Order: sequence, then structure tokens, then C-alpha cells
Amino acid sequence: MESILKYFKGLFTGIKSLLFGMSVTWKELWTKKVTQQYPENRDTLVISDRFRCELTMPHDDNNEHACTACGICQMNCPNGTISVLSKMIETEDGKKKKILDTYTWDLGMCTFCNLCVITCPSDAIKFNNQFENAVFTRSKLVQTLNHEGSKLRDKKKDVKPAETNA
Amino acid sequence: MLSNYSQPLEFTKLLGWLDTTLKANMPEVWANLIEFVIVAVAFLTAYAVIALILIYAERKITAFFQARFGPNRVGKYGIFQSVADMIKILLKEIIHINNVDKFLFYAAPFFMIVASMLTFGAIPFGKMLHAVDFNIGVLYVTAVSSLGIIGVLLAGWSSNNKYSMIGAMRSGAQFVSYELSAGFALMTIVVLTGTMSFSEMIAKQEFCWNIFNGHISSIVAFVIYLISGHAETNRGPFDLPEAESELTAGYHTEYSGLQFGFFYLAEYLNMFIIASIATTVFLGGWMPIQIHGLDIFNQFMWYIPSYVWFFGKTAVLIFLSLWVRWSFPRLRIDQLLNLEWKYLLPINLVNILVMVILVLSGLTLTDLFPSLF
Amino acid sequence: MAQQIIFFILAAMIAVFSVLAVTSKRIIRSATYLLFVLLGTAGLYLLLGYHYLFAVQIAVYAGGVMVLFIFAILLTNRPGENVKTERKDRRIAAGITSLAGLAFCGHIIYWNVNKMYTLVVPAEQKIQDIGLTLMGTDKYQYLLPFEFISVLLLACIVGAIMIARKR
Repeated sequence: MESILKYFKGLFTGIKSLLFGMSVTWKELWTKKVTQQYPENRDTLVISDRFRCELTMPHDDNNEHACTACGICQMNCPNGTISVLSKMIETEDGKKKKILDTYTWDLGMCTFCNLCVITCPSDAIKFNNQFENAVFTRSKLVQTLNHEGSKLRDKKKDVKPAETNA
Repeated sequence: MLSNYSQPLEFTKLLGWLDTTLKANMPEVWANLIEFVIVAVAFLTAYAVIALILIYAERKITAFFQARFGPNRVGKYGIFQSVADMIKILLKEIIHINNVDKFLFYAAPFFMIVASMLTFGAIPFGKMLHAVDFNIGVLYVTAVSSLGIIGVLLAGWSSNNKYSMIGAMRSGAQFVSYELSAGFALMTIVVLTGTMSFSEMIAKQEFCWNIFNGHISSIVAFVIYLISGHAETNRGPFDLPEAESELTAGYHTEYSGLQFGFFYLAEYLNMFIIASIATTVFLGGWMPIQIHGLDIFNQFMWYIPSYVWFFGKTAVLIFLSLWVRWSFPRLRIDQLLNLEWKYLLPINLVNILVMVILVLSGLTLTDLFPSLF
Repeated sequence: MAQQIIFFILAAMIAVFSVLAVTSKRIIRSATYLLFVLLGTAGLYLLLGYHYLFAVQIAVYAGGVMVLFIFAILLTNRPGENVKTERKDRRIAAGITSLAGLAFCGHIIYWNVNKMYTLVVPAEQKIQDIGLTLMGTDKYQYLLPFEFISVLLLACIVGAIMIARKR
């Protein structure tokens, strides 16, 4: 007797739960579509700030950057993606100084681990949100990050914008 | 009764005119031959077109259930997506596999497609749009559709691949068991109407569909038929023969190009066939909704041509099948067989008995309220 | 005329495939050829207008028995691997026996079925008549054999369960 009761109870609870499931999907049928239609919605597309797309070296209006060519990013890169070429110049007061010559970064080998940005002592590089990275040849993936004719920003100058930002 | 209402959009006049002109202008043998060819071409075209529409509709509705847009790049709203897919599948190479049983491997898709074509031919699509009206229509449909499973088993065996083989075995077990309850559900309605021919069944459902006529028993039979029909077509929660995660693609793993296309086409058409048989047997087929005595209303209903009624009702059932497909999780093989042998079949047998009692003791709606229905 | 052509096509199909079914060494192919034979027979019934018999032939033999055959073959381990052709003397004996059987059956068919064709008109049988004949208890009605067959099938099922349980 008990087993018969159990059979019918199972049958009806099963039907009830199936109908409940169908009501859920029925509501889902009329919900707003969440698909992002990419090439059309470029203007409104929101990419998360934390998403790492391209490594950049921010330059200010005077075409100055913060990279001291210390090479820590190059040493920390697990894939050998970054190569920092430096050169020695003589400053006005006659001291020898190492400055950045070319900063090359290979997108094709980068795993976007962010170690270079974390370890940079002078916050000279960061990842931006330019996610459209497709190109036709691999050689185009190798990018030089410092601009033509750019130079190192003076330390004193550097402090002020940091304070204003804070 | 039917001819009292004007039916401006029906094909009856056109077909009658075609028949008389052909027979008047040439010997009867040639006229018959030409008519056969016309019917065959019409069926083949309808078969392909319905499959294309179904594939598009399925992809679109599936997408809506998952809050997506679905295909929307090829043409406006992506309506040419399935045409593009068809062209692609026609152009694809048929890969020849080593160490398969060649004859059976190439014959298996034809079993599938022939079985579903044979069933497709017996469906009444509208008034006068009925190719073969057998005295035993229901029995014929259940008999012929059972041929498809041989194609599945042979495909699984001849592929020389253990995943195909397991998929075919599962599919076979599933089909053989669910065919039983589908047949019993149809037999319940045969008890109610006292006929097996589709045309007579439709004529009897003029004012009262079978699903209402036999109330409790009919509704149970309808639900059982939909479940088992759904399972027979290897779709929805019952698609474990093709469960990608365990069996790659089941019995058609080794097929490519047009051969795979045959399996694909047959699957979609089987979905349509199940829905259209359910329409014909339970929902009045191509008969418009009519109410006893309301002649003006009935006339308006007859202005809508019968094939529109048929395809409309079928579309509702297909939508129901898609809805089920995207609501429920996939069953395990033992759950699947439990559902059939421990629930559907016993309920079905009791249901037939109930229906016999209803019919014999005059408790059907047409017997209870002869003035209304 | 058309009927004659279709009949000869079906007859040729039945004959060729029944020979192939016996001679093929791969058992699954034999089963497929047998399926074609059964389908051809169904075609003959359709030609005679016996729609019910046609549908039952397909449902029971092609859809039921053949599926079980193929299932059984699929479940066996390496079917048909050790098939050898028989010894010559045995083959001759088997040939003579089958020829004798053919002569015997042919004689009966020729003398009796030929006569029967004049009596039986090929026409569609009403399914109601078939049902009543199958379930009636009068003369030429078949309730008793029908029930006997169902008892036989029940015994088969019980036997199958007993074998499968293997206590």
C-alpha cells in the first residue's frame, strides 16, 4: 500500500515540478535579450577597467614618460615579451645617465599576467582597454611603446600631478 | 455539411481543374503518370522546405529561450541562415572511412530518410491535400515510422566505432520502448473514433476535437503521445543517444556531408511528423474551429484555408516540443527506461480501459451533449 | 500492366535478396537482406490491396522482429567470425533437400493457390471485419487460436525472465 502511495506521489510531484520548470522557461522566453552585437555596438560597449588588453606607456603633453629604463619589467616577464633597450647619455652637469632608447613589447607572446605593471617602481606602464588587437601579420604585434623623441619626466614635476590626483 | 460554407482559398478547385484538364487532353495512363510525378515533386519540395523552416525556427526559438537573438546575420532576421547551411552541407565532402561495412554504411541514411518520407506521405495537410488515404492510416504511420530505427542500428554498427555503436544501441532501446506507448496512445483515440483512417477521424472532429471528446482519457493519451513522440525523435531531454559529452554524436559520429544531412533532415522531419499526427488525431487536423449553430462564425473560420489551420496547429505543438526541450535536463538511460516501462506504459493500459468504458457507457462529450457538439 | 511490372520487380527483389541472405557470410548483412525480403513481401500485400496485412507485415516483421535480430547481432561478440563453408557432400545433400521442398511446395501452390485466385477477389478488407473475425467465437472466427497464441507468448516471456535471472 505504501509503495503504491509512493508511486502516485512521485508521479504527481514529478508532474508538478516539470510544470514549474516550464513556467520558469516561459518567463525566460520573454526576458530582454542579453546578446552584445559587437561591431554595431562599439560606441556603447563597456569593457571592464580591469581587463588587460594592450600594454601602454602613458606620455604627458610634453611627450615625457616615467620609464627609467631600469629593466625590472623585462626581468619579471615570464615569457620574455618585453625588451628594454637603454643608452648612456651625458647630462648637462657632466654626469653619465642611463635613459630609455626603445621599449618593445610583443603582444603575440604576452600572457597578460600584469607582473610588469605590478613591479614597475615608477608606474611607467599600464594596460589599457583597446581590445581590438587583430592584425594580419605577426610582425605587427611587436610594438614600440615609447614615442618618438620622448624623454624621462623630471622627478619634481612628477610629484605634483600625483598629489592632485590624490 | 462542409460544402455549405464558401471556401475561397482552398486548393480543391485548382486540383479538380488540373485533374479534369489532364484527363481530357491525354490518355488516362499518361495523365495518372503526370499526376504522380507532380505529387512526388511537391512532396519532395515540401519535405526540404519544411525541414529548412523548422531548422530556422528551432534555432531562433532556442535562442529566445536562452535570452539570445539567434541567427540574425544572413538576410533580415537571419531568415536565409538555414538555406546557407543547406548549401554548405551540399558542398561538403563525404569522407570515406576505412574498415567500415561499405554497403550498410552508405545504405543506413536512406533507411532513415525513406521511413520518414513514407510517413510524411500519409499526412493530411488540408482539404483534398492528402496523398494516400489508407483505411488503416494510423496503423500505417506507426508501422512505417518503425523502419527508421533499422537505419540507426545499421549506421551505428557499420561505422566500426564503439561510440556510434553505444549510441545506436541506446537509440534503439529508446525507440522500441517509446514506440509502444505512442502506438497505445493512438489506439486510445482509435477506440474513441472507431476508425483508423485519418480522413474519417478528421470528419468526426468537426465540432468537437478528440482531445475534448474523450476528456480525461483523451488528455492523458495526448500527453503520453507527445512525450513518447518526443522521445522517439531522440530530441530534447531524451537525446542521450547523441549526448555529446559521452558519445561524441552517437550513431552518426562517422557521417559527414550529405549523409549526415540525411540524418539531420530526418530528425527534423520526424519532429514535424509527430506534431502533425498529434494534430490530426487529437486536435482536429485541418478542420477549422467550428461551433454548432453559429453559422456566421463558422463561415469566418472557413475563410481561413484548411492548410493554414493544419500548419498552425502543428506549429503550436512544435513550439511545445521546443519549450520542453529547453526546460528539462537530459535523462539518464535507466531513468529513461523507467519512465517508459514503469509510468507511461501502465498508465496507458489503464487509460485504454478507461476510454473503452467511456465510449461504451456513453460518457464522451458528443454523447453527453449532442446538441452542443 | 503496371501491376504486372511491379509484381515482377517485387518478385525478383524477393528472390535475389533471399538467396543473398542465405549466402552472405556477414551475419548483419544477411539480416539486412532478410529485411528487404520482408519488405518485398509487404509490397506484394500492398499490390493485392491487403493494406492491413501490409501494415502488420511492416510493423511486426520489419519494425519488430528485424530490430530484435539486429539488436541480438549487435550484442554478440564478434558475430560470424568462424563461419566456414560446409563440406561438399553436405552441400549436395542440402541442395537435394531444398529442391525436394521446392518441388513439394511448388506443386501445392500450383494446384491450389491457382484455383484460389479465382475465388479471392483482391480488394481492401475492412479493418472492422478483421477485428470482429479475430475476436469472434462463431464458425470461421478466431478467438480461441488468438488466445492460444497469447498464452504461448506469455510462456515465452516467463521463460525469458527465468533464463535472464540465472539464480
